[in-house]
Amino acid sequence: MTRPPLLEIQDLRTYFYSRAKEAFIRSVDGVSLAIAPGETLGVVGESGSGKSVTALSILGLVGGNPGVITGAVHFAGGNGASGPRNLLADLERYVSLTKHDGRIVAVAKDEPGWRAHVERALARVRGKQIAMIFQNPKSSLNPFVTVGQQISEAVRLHTGVTHASEAKERALGWLERVRMDSPRLRFDQYPDGLSGGMCQRAMIAMALASEPSLLIADEPTTGLDATIQSRIVALLAELKSEFGVTTLLITHDIRVVSRLADTVAVMYGATVMEHGPARDVLAPGVEPKHPYTSALLASLPSTQTNGRRHAVDGRLPVIRGEVVDTMNVPRGCRFHARCDRITDAIRARCMGEEPALATVAAGHRMRCHLHPGEARGG
Amino acid sequence: MARPLLEVTDLRKQYQARAGMLAALHGRTRSVPAVDGVSFGLSEHETLGLVGESGCGKTTIGRIVLGVTPASSGRVVFDGHEITALRPRALRPLRKQMQMIFQDLDAALNPRMRVRDILREAITLHHRLEQTEVARRTSELLDQVNLKSAKLASFPHELSGGEKRRVGIARVLAVGARFIVADEPTSALDVSIQAQIVNLLRDLQTRLGLSYLFISHDLEVVELVSHRVAVMYLGRIVEIGPAERVARASRHPYTSILWSSLVEKRSDEVARNGAAAWGVFDFERPGQGCRFAPRCPVYEAAGRPAICTDPTSEPTLRDVGDGQSVACHFPLAR
Repeated sequence: MTRPPLLEIQDLRTYFYSRAKEAFIRSVDGVSLAIAPGETLGVVGESGSGKSVTALSILGLVGGNPGVITGAVHFAGGNGASGPRNLLADLERYVSLTKHDGRIVAVAKDEPGWRAHVERALARVRGKQIAMIFQNPKSSLNPFVTVGQQISEAVRLHTGVTHASEAKERALGWLERVRMDSPRLRFDQYPDGLSGGMCQRAMIAMALASEPSLLIADEPTTGLDATIQSRIVALLAELKSEFGVTTLLITHDIRVVSRLADTVAVMYGATVMEHGPARDVLAPGVEPKHPYTSALLASLPSTQTNGRRHAVDGRLPVIRGEVVDTMNVPRGCRFHARCDRITDAIRARCMGEEPALATVAAGHRMRCHLHPGEARGG
Repeated sequence: MARPLLEVTDLRKQYQARAGMLAALHGRTRSVPAVDGVSFGLSEHETLGLVGESGCGKTTIGRIVLGVTPASSGRVVFDGHEITALRPRALRPLRKQMQMIFQDLDAALNPRMRVRDILREAITLHHRLEQTEVARRTSELLDQVNLKSAKLASFPHELSGGEKRRVGIARVLAVGARFIVADEPTSALDVSIQAQIVNLLRDLQTRLGLSYLFISHDLEVVELVSHRVAVMYLGRIVEIGPAERVARASRHPYTSILWSSLVEKRSDEVARNGAAAWGVFDFERPGQGCRFAPRCPVYEAAGRPAICTDPTSEPTLRDVGDGQSVACHFPLAR
């Protein structure tokens, strides 16, 4: 690691309390990740693995009870050359935790105080230094304002441009850069008149128009048609090589991640199971791999991803059981009940002790007793 | 070849487009053809995959085939009975043999009913049975879909996505279906659960001899589960044939682009050629002649031959060998 990361998340925890079940939903449970400048970090995971809530927590967009309870988000973006600052600074002032047996069992949080604090701290970061594009482009655009006006607004709010005409020119420029066909025509259209793919392009234009240091793309292709998906992915790839904007890409689609990401974090049960260079984590057959990552890659119906045809009867290798319930996180490894690589030698540890995210190779970390790696210094 | 279970001939369905309040005054009501002359057959124990982009009419076909949505014209014959000519009452005895698995997991199950009651309702809907017989049938169904009996007392919201899907499948089996329209049965599920459901559907087909019309936009799943695949574009089937051939040796440019879009998502190498510059389609104004021509790379490469846009010569499906048919004037070479 030569360059310091642009964004570093440390031990982020976001919980919600379910009154009906009288238990915490541990949506994000001790996530640590880092993104180097210019890099695209792909976060993959099944639904409920905590990938979206992680992104929302970074921007302080998680409401509710108790919400973000621990963690630091060091962000080195923005104009000030003052070094990284913690977006969640002073969080601990508003939260007190009660632990029992190493687990958080009760949380007291001054939510209004914390909220006011976060709004102050993040007002200049959201949208400007960290921009976000969402899964459902149609519902993320204001239906009563033309696409062009929405992008111009982003330009005026987040860049030095004040003149309406100049903002318009810039906005048009962004529409061209996201390969929107006939941008001048689209500029004056309402989101309703655009297809899903065009809305996503408009969203991307709006996000880039504020010239952010970090772009968070949450499921940018989900819900679009296959052919449109591949074109949006192609666009993101072009923009990546053209502008080199640092991107946190969140998706359940492993194909999209393998095309766009430099590094990959695999999330399961609200935490990171594996984090490393995309070519090592996602390439089939390359070891070491976390057992969950291997199983996930094997259960894809694609023949290319596996590199070989499935068994003749067309059955897919499955991960048995159900996705872990984050309300009832098991002791030990979160994946142990579904894991097919547990050996008798480590069974007791898998069931009783949560493995640490240990470094197994340069820049490659894994949470598995099979790969204890070297204990992390510091 | 097993005997045909389902025969669909020249099926058409038009929807009225919403064109604003005053449109009718100006005589401007338009009808949008959602399904525009579709014919195909399905044998017993067979899975026919139906793929295409959203809005191409796949779901509409599924609904018409089951007699849920009336067709504008055309014939659907199920096991010798012409569905499209039957009154709802006469359709009822056939309904138990043909069922649908819906895309939306949550909307498909009554949130106020426990799993036990959902299954009981389905079991007793078409058959009058003793209480003990219902219990026996229930446990048999649970066994068939691999659901723990502890889940019988659960409400749908207490189930995971995979479990909800299993309950939905058990309910369809409960009424005694042998032909199932599966509308995006895996799209709402996580990857690891998706594989379980795909395997379950295949196992059930082997054990119970089911036939599926498998509607999905997930090309990889379709290729995996289907014996044959039909590719739809703007209300028409443009290519149909054995799954392996349609996926790996497509003859229609559209099919080829669809499958290569999968590869494009994965790698940069193929991204440049192929689907680089194709426009947006318009359901309401399909072009004259071949409706794919405005987006077709072959049409462009061949110097826009007149036959492709000739209104009198819209290409129809024709046999190109190996059980594959394609609706194209210039099918791709093998």
